[in-house]
Amino acid sequence: MSNKMIQIDDNSKLFNTEGCFHKEFPSDLRQVRYFTLLIVQKAPPEIKELNLLEQQISELIKNAVKHGNKCDLNKKVHVWYYFSTEEARIIVEDEGKGFLKIREWNDFNEKRLQCLHEENFEELGNFVSYRTPDSDDRDGGNAMFAALEYWNKGVVFTEKANKIAVSKKFPKAQRGINID
Amino acid sequence: MELKIRKSSNIYIIDIHGEMDLYNSYKLKDLVMKMLEKKVTKFVINLDKVEYIDSSGIGALIYICSTIKKMNLQLLVTNVHGSVKKVIELTKLMGYFPMAPTVNDAIKTL
Repeated sequence: MSNKMIQIDDNSKLFNTEGCFHKEFPSDLRQVRYFTLLIVQKAPPEIKELNLLEQQISELIKNAVKHGNKCDLNKKVHVWYYFSTEEARIIVEDEGKGFLKIREWNDFNEKRLQCLHEENFEELGNFVSYRTPDSDDRDGGNAMFAALEYWNKGVVFTEKANKIAVSKKFPKAQRGINID
Repeated sequence: MELKIRKSSNIYIIDIHGEMDLYNSYKLKDLVMKMLEKKVTKFVINLDKVEYIDSSGIGALIYICSTIKKMNLQLLVTNVHGSVKKVIELTKLMGYFPMAPTVNDAIKTL
C-alpha cells in the first residue's frame, strides 16, 4: 500500500528557490488558470503531457488564492518555478493563516488508501472528498490526493503551512531511433 | 463547457463538451439535480469531448455519483480517456465511478 503523505519541513530542499523564476499574482479566482498558463509557458513541451502539469499547478494556485488568501485581492500569491525536460519544481506561498489540518488530512488520506487497498468501494465513498467547514460546493476536495501521486519527488509544507513546495521527476526522453 | 442532453428510451445521456474546471463544473451538478427532480432514473455522462478536467470537475462527478448511488438509481460514465483518464487515475477513482467504454455500451448495460 502507498504510504505517501504530505510532509511538514521548513528545511526541505524543495523550498530552495535558486535558479527559479518568480511571479506574484493578486488573489483573483477568476484568473487562476490564466496565471497558471503564464507559468506553464516556461515549461518544455516534453513535460506538458495532456495538460497535466498545467492542471496540477492550477490546483496549487487555486488553493492559495481561495483557501489561503480567501480571495482577498489585497493579498498576493507568490510562485517560484523551475522546469527542465526532466524536472518540474513549484513553490507557492500565500498570505493566509496556513493549511492547519495537514495531520488530519494525512489521516484521512491513509484511510482512503486503505479502502483502495482493500477494494472496499462502499467505504471509499466516505473518503473520496476531504472537506472542512470552509469547503463550498465548488471545492472538489480531491486535489491533494492527485498532487501526492503526480508530484513524485514530494509535497511539503512549511510549519506555518502557508507555503507549499512540490517536485516531479520525469523519465529521460529517449533520443534517436532503435535499430534492430 | 457545453452540456447537451439526448434520450434513448428512458436513458438520459449528457454529452459534455469543453473544459470541466473550477469555473463551470457546478453546471453539471445543477443539471443532474434538476433531472433528478424530474424523476430521471438512468443517466449516462459522456466525457468523450472533455478536453480538461480539474479537482472541481472530479468533485462534481463524485457528488453526482454518490447522490445517484444513494438514491439507488443508475449511472454510467463513458469515454474516459486522455487527460480525463489521467486525472481520475491520479485520484485513484477509476474503480469508484461506474464506467462503460462507449455510450452504446452504456445504453446496452442500462
